[in-house]
Amino acid sequence: MAVKTFAAIDVGSFEISMKIFQVSRKGMKEIDHIRHEIDMGTETYTTGKLSYERVEELCRVLCEFSEIMKTYQVCDYKAYGTSAIREAENTAILLNQIEVRTGIHIDVLSNSEQRFLDYKSIAFQGEGFLKIIENGTAIVDIGGGSIQISLFDKDTLVSTQNMRLGVLRLQERLNHLNASLSQYDNLIEELVDSQLQVYKKLYLREREIKNIIVVDDYISVMLRKKSDNHEMTGYAGKELFDHFEKAYHTKSVSQLAQSWDMPEENMPMAHISVMMLKRIMETMGAELIWAPGVTLCDGIAYEYAEKNKMITASHDFEQDIIACAKNISKRYRGSRKRSETLEQIALTIFDSTKKIHGLGKRERLLLQLSTILHDCGKYISMTNLGECSYSIIMSTEVIGLSHREREIVANVVKYNHLEFDYYEEMGLHSSLDKNAYLVVAKLTAILRLANGLDRSHKQKFKNVRTSLKDNELVITVDTNEDITLEKGLFDGRAAFFQEVFNVRPVIRQKRVIGG
Amino acid sequence: MSEIDYKDPGYYTNRELSWVLFDKRVLSEAKDKQNPLFERLKFLSITASNLDEFFMVRVASLKDMVNAGYEKPDIAGMTPRQQLSALNEATHELVKEQYAVYNRTLLPLLLQNGLRVIGKHEKLTEKEAEYVDQYYEENVYPVLTPMAVDSSRPFPLIRNKSLNIGALVKKKGGDGELEFATVQVPSVLPRIVQIPSEDEGETAVILLEEVIERNIEKLFLNYDIVCSYPFRIMRNADFSLEEDEAEDLLKEIEKQLKMRQWGQAIRLEVEEGIDKRLIGIIKKELSIGDEDIYRIDGPLDLTFLMKMYGLPGFDHLKEKGYASPQPVPELPEGCDIFEQIRKGDVLLHHPYETFTPVVDFIRQAARDKDVLAIKQTLYRVSGNSPIIAALAQAAENGKQVSVLVELKARFDEENNIVWAKMLEKAGCHVIYGLVGLKTHSKITLVVRREEDGIRRYVHLGTGNYNDATAKLYTDIGLLTCSESIGEDATAVFNMLSGYSEPLGWNKLSLAPLWLKDRFLYLIDREKKNAAAGREGHIIAKVNSLCDKDIIQALYEAGAAGVKIELIVRGICCLKTGLPGIGKNITVRSIVGNFLEHCRIFYFANDGKPEYYCASADWMPRNLERRVEIMFPVEKPALREKLIHILSMQMKDTVKAHVLLPNGRYQKVDKRGKEIINAQQEFCKEAVRAAKQKDEVVSNRVFIPETHHE
Repeated sequence: MAVKTFAAIDVGSFEISMKIFQVSRKGMKEIDHIRHEIDMGTETYTTGKLSYERVEELCRVLCEFSEIMKTYQVCDYKAYGTSAIREAENTAILLNQIEVRTGIHIDVLSNSEQRFLDYKSIAFQGEGFLKIIENGTAIVDIGGGSIQISLFDKDTLVSTQNMRLGVLRLQERLNHLNASLSQYDNLIEELVDSQLQVYKKLYLREREIKNIIVVDDYISVMLRKKSDNHEMTGYAGKELFDHFEKAYHTKSVSQLAQSWDMPEENMPMAHISVMMLKRIMETMGAELIWAPGVTLCDGIAYEYAEKNKMITASHDFEQDIIACAKNISKRYRGSRKRSETLEQIALTIFDSTKKIHGLGKRERLLLQLSTILHDCGKYISMTNLGECSYSIIMSTEVIGLSHREREIVANVVKYNHLEFDYYEEMGLHSSLDKNAYLVVAKLTAILRLANGLDRSHKQKFKNVRTSLKDNELVITVDTNEDITLEKGLFDGRAAFFQEVFNVRPVIRQKRVIGG
Repeated sequence: MSEIDYKDPGYYTNRELSWVLFDKRVLSEAKDKQNPLFERLKFLSITASNLDEFFMVRVASLKDMVNAGYEKPDIAGMTPRQQLSALNEATHELVKEQYAVYNRTLLPLLLQNGLRVIGKHEKLTEKEAEYVDQYYEENVYPVLTPMAVDSSRPFPLIRNKSLNIGALVKKKGGDGELEFATVQVPSVLPRIVQIPSEDEGETAVILLEEVIERNIEKLFLNYDIVCSYPFRIMRNADFSLEEDEAEDLLKEIEKQLKMRQWGQAIRLEVEEGIDKRLIGIIKKELSIGDEDIYRIDGPLDLTFLMKMYGLPGFDHLKEKGYASPQPVPELPEGCDIFEQIRKGDVLLHHPYETFTPVVDFIRQAARDKDVLAIKQTLYRVSGNSPIIAALAQAAENGKQVSVLVELKARFDEENNIVWAKMLEKAGCHVIYGLVGLKTHSKITLVVRREEDGIRRYVHLGTGNYNDATAKLYTDIGLLTCSESIGEDATAVFNMLSGYSEPLGWNKLSLAPLWLKDRFLYLIDREKKNAAAGREGHIIAKVNSLCDKDIIQALYEAGAAGVKIELIVRGICCLKTGLPGIGKNITVRSIVGNFLEHCRIFYFANDGKPEYYCASADWMPRNLERRVEIMFPVEKPALREKLIHILSMQMKDTVKAHVLLPNGRYQKVDKRGKEIINAQQEFCKEAVRAAKQKDEVVSNRVFIPETHHE
């Protein structure tokens, strides 16, 4: 039986950690978890760079990690850097330096990618997860730099929002204010509430949230240690806060650290986490907390195992992404009907032209998202539809979509309306690589074609079939309506398609007898 | 009931005084007629070496405190000064008892059994004297360095723990002024000088200092010898402070560094009847007080008795009732240890069962192609240790070997550095201990890559990885490949390598962070059960019990009705028969042929009993300033083994002493009880078990077929 060992490395803002996993078709098993505390966040958040000493320390630990990997005969590894690396001004130089010195290649995760990995590792918890999301649930992912709140509607994740309320950041702000411990509670409440109220008004609205899944470094540790009852390990209700507050007001910091079994220096951040979660819970009216105790490393490993087809999740993440997109479209008053027609036509074209575009399932999803979001910019300006849609998509996080994928979708939507910019012209304005650019071109061509077929926005084409014959893409439409407008505009749309694929699209109208 | 405040220092015994009682229990073995004569010599010798160490470590430390003006009272409410004065009385009494045993009991018995110890050179026969003088000329004289003191030659440095002969001398033809002279009894020569005996079947011996004394005038040819007597001093020098002492003491002493008198003499032993003028000079030069002078009725430094034990021809006077370490039935010689462990956890009980499987565990791991890594903590190892050799070999075979070597192990520092360097050369990753903590835990982790993935094999023990002491100390070891213990073991080594603590532990409890709380929790749980009318029962076997929090918790549990049976070999600051507790807490101490060393804990837990073994005693230094590990024993068969060990020790009527409410220890009242010597029983059982296993193998009888179709 094939048993592989895999190492997941998380270069976080106050800790570098590595988990060694054994991966086989039977599943994943954690073998080792090594953590080294190193505060990189404070430096990058304040100065934009990591100091010489920090880089030295980082490299030393990574070298040790590399030795440990050798011991376990690790076949593969993945190392990700998060906000401390991401927000450094000289990320590229830094990462290259690290790779040359330690041989470890670190990729940088965008916020939404990072949260998605956390989310993935929660979803892979199986039973516990499926059960809890039966009721309204929010995932509260508390990091050093920011927190992320994602909401479930029934069993799909529908929205996600990032707030710069990370524990390290808050602590820094409190330090800056020279706050005394007794002022902590009020100050945290003020800092958190101002953002939470906005969040509630804009995103939460009437949604009923019963459960909170928390991902963090402090509350999870406490919840997972304290329980004697194994079945309830990781679960808590609102009494947690009373318990904590009472302890906080009657015990010294060192006593607290002892009773929560935590290093004393972690107590301020634990305190901030608890206060923040309390405010979030009260704002949402939630009753149950679940701390699955997952870390980013788990997510990295699940991603790896999934990619290598060693495990499959019981949760459909694509449905989450589509639901999120639909939610955005709804927010900006997009036309659902038109989206659906467009989606249907575009996907039909996509599916019948596989041979010539060579794209896969994931790109199909991107096309689908583009159709859903194709008109979101209309909400702001009907004239600058392309630019506005692009901006909206680029600044709205969709959990499960990488930054690159989001940029592809935004570009496809943009070029659906605007003149296409060739790669050679895009130049420095875009961070897209050549492959991504080609995906943009191909998906744009398909979307434009589909858009052309529904120019009047009247959904005249109920039934569209396409077939590839020689150098022609024959699009057969069943309709008795007058399609002069569509036919007239079609050539312009078709030209770009032809340019991209070297295949000429032609429309054939098939009148429905007796229709 | 709960009005009694068990924090009251009156409810606790001073640890040093309790230690003296322990040494007295060892002494009682020297008195015990049931023991073969030569074993009694050995026990007496042990009391002497114990006492030497006690002075160097504990008394020295108390002197430091007094010098530093440190006044903080101990667990029993005594200031260092009070402790010193109480100790003085106790140790003087102990020494008196030692020599009473030596002179009145052992010497006559030795004579009866054909060993004549010539106490005074004056008692030598002419022929013997002739032999001795010749021996002196040939062997002793060349290595002696006599030193005289006068106005031009200052008082010489008398080395710590060395035996010397002091003399008053007068210059021949001088003005009759007395001078001091001294000569060290050379430690390179054997202390016991055997003399050819005139009687057949009799062995005669004399001690080296007597030989020198007899010939002392030959050392100071220009002088007349007025008198000469042996003396021995112990100094407070070269010893870093004990970890037992509180941090604030260290600071106090640092502040008053000048106050610490390095090299100060803390004990002076002299022969009884020593010339007043002679002792006056020594006293003055060493600036030592009367209370620190021990006038000895017999030879100084009884540790020579260990050498006497080794004299040939007396095997019939030595202990033979204890079998040598037996093979472990689950781990027969030459077996694949990993395979055996996969079949089930193995609990080893040393020295009844041999330590070899533990050495083999590491040896096999070193050679096994599937082993990826070996990690181990080492505290004290034997010279020429097979474990060290195996670890070095493993590194040479390309395994990742990490070893934590505790350099701070008392009296072993130099020894440890030598082999640590050797391991490093072989390619092992060596960690030289942790800052501010002694690593006392005994744990080995072997990571092996098997067909179905990584499997971890762990050895956890209560004793050091020392194949020599494993023949003398009683210890428990567990070999397991349980996943949850494997995970914890990995986490232990991650922590020892300087990484953050794990997010949680499955089975193990570690000092100094978690273990004490765990103990307090377990004791408290029994208390709550008893208070609620359920059964509360604790059995704990430790070497020492002197942690105040633990004792207080035990008192409170006992007061709530928990039955607490303690088996404490050495120091015990807990008292029995306290108001509100009565007979709920009992303490017994077993001092026998083997040194009781394993720590075993049993908690009834309302019908779901829990068993643990640990590397830690119930002492503040174990729980607060050392890395220690406690592990549960969960397999029913292994629990049976532990329960048996505990119950046999509770039933021991031969080597057990019981702590009385008056603070004294007394041998168990044997009346109406079966005579049980637990250590001896364990030996017999181990022999039986090993034999049974053998029989199973050799009883392969062929079964003939009786039918033929």
